[in-house]
Amino acid sequence: MNASKDRPLRDRVAVVTGGCGGIGQAICERLRKEGAEVYAADLVRQTHPDVKYLEHDVTCEQSAIDLMQHMQSHHDRIDILVNAAGIEIEKTIEETTLDEWNRIFAINVTGTFLTSKYALALMRKTGGSIINFGSYDGFIADPRLSAYCATKGAVHALTRAMACDHGPEKIRVNAICPGFIDTPMLKGFFGEGSDSERYYEAAREVHPIRRYGTPEDVANLVFWLAGDEAGYATGQLWVLDGGLTAQVQQMRL
Amino acid sequence: MADHQPTGTLAGKSAVITGGGRGIGRAIAERYIQAGAAVVCCARSERPDDYPSEAHWLKADVSCMEDIKRLRSTVEGLFGELSILVNNAGMQIEKTILETTDQDWQTLMGVNAFGVFACSRELIPLMHKGGVIINMGSISGNIADPCLAIYNASKAFVHGLTRSIAVDHGPGIRCNAISPGWIMTEMAHAAFSVAKDPEKARQDALARHPAGRFGKPSDIAELATWLASDAASFATGQCYTLDGGLTAASPLHPGLE
Repeated sequence: MNASKDRPLRDRVAVVTGGCGGIGQAICERLRKEGAEVYAADLVRQTHPDVKYLEHDVTCEQSAIDLMQHMQSHHDRIDILVNAAGIEIEKTIEETTLDEWNRIFAINVTGTFLTSKYALALMRKTGGSIINFGSYDGFIADPRLSAYCATKGAVHALTRAMACDHGPEKIRVNAICPGFIDTPMLKGFFGEGSDSERYYEAAREVHPIRRYGTPEDVANLVFWLAGDEAGYATGQLWVLDGGLTAQVQQMRL
Repeated sequence: MADHQPTGTLAGKSAVITGGGRGIGRAIAERYIQAGAAVVCCARSERPDDYPSEAHWLKADVSCMEDIKRLRSTVEGLFGELSILVNNAGMQIEKTILETTDQDWQTLMGVNAFGVFACSRELIPLMHKGGVIINMGSISGNIADPCLAIYNASKAFVHGLTRSIAVDHGPGIRCNAISPGWIMTEMAHAAFSVAKDPEKARQDALARHPAGRFGKPSDIAELATWLASDAASFATGQCYTLDGGLTAASPLHPGLE
């Protein structure tokens, strides 16, 4: 471990929900590298050795309370909270059952609410940064992702509301809105069929930057938003999509 | 138009429509006449033979201040005042900034930016009883169409000026912009004709419209009529997108061929 004093997040305490997922792991490792004490809060343990693991079900209020009790007894504060836990369901509203609807809202929206709600008491001690996960799909729709789009729109509105309420307590709240990030979930989005590889290539070429995002791209932005250089950034939705949504639909002419 | 019964939502109002000779502008002129307005169309071209006889025609270029002064005195002479200004005149140049010449800039910004500014400045003083300005923005003012660099930028200017006019000149003047998507005009037909396979390109574009069709000039005219009417008296400072759902969808559409 290089315990250099110039690491910008030294002495900071960070909690990352969904911290064992593809993007979550990249975030944990980056925050760790920048000097923070990092806790991956997730259902299943899968972490870098330098990242601590705490079992956490974001849909469960008691789990949030227990998580924060642990943080209080070990650190008495949290500086950085990243609400990265999330799922998607590839269905229209007609195909979506009420149970599926409730489940995706429980994870993507209620999870952000509950973890943040119980983290606030520990964050207002020293001020801090909350980073939620929205999506470009919270602005414009992809086909057959209806409930997912709706949850991300809700996270966007919640982000602004939290920023208004807790700005005076020196807690900044932002959301990152990724476009297509190259994870196993993305391959899943393009399906199993014979055309899936072709779709994967074709969609990539629609991006002005001609590549998909990586978990590291997202972690770079999390790192910036978490740190003091982003001290005036709050209440904003940070789209990170390789230029995808800067353009009008790309007709194949 | 004579067999149409005016619906009257614009009865007693006077309107100027720039670029009103064809396409969207002409559709607005025809719809305004149907709704009971007295219309002055200004365009750079000669009056087409089949243009509605109720409309007054003024050959004028909105990038030329002398022409705008003539427009102002024409309106003053005809009506003594003005209720509605539709800044519809616009042009596009299909180039990136590297290909765009200084002359291209002067020409396009002269019409799309200066024209909107100058017509508004010269005609607002004629809106003695309050008035409505409707500008033609574009979905490309928010997100970029490739190879239309200064056109896209000029439309963002229109969106910005729309808000400024609404803020500075309310409550007497209401000002809104309409941001059309793909409207089937000669301009759009031309875009498809340069495609490698025009019919395939058309089908592809169509599949990206939740409304299942391209826009028609009359679609824009309907919104322009509502915005000009007293029914829209609380609508000001906005850029209303009318694009058949195109920009509600992600640019990615993996299911498309």
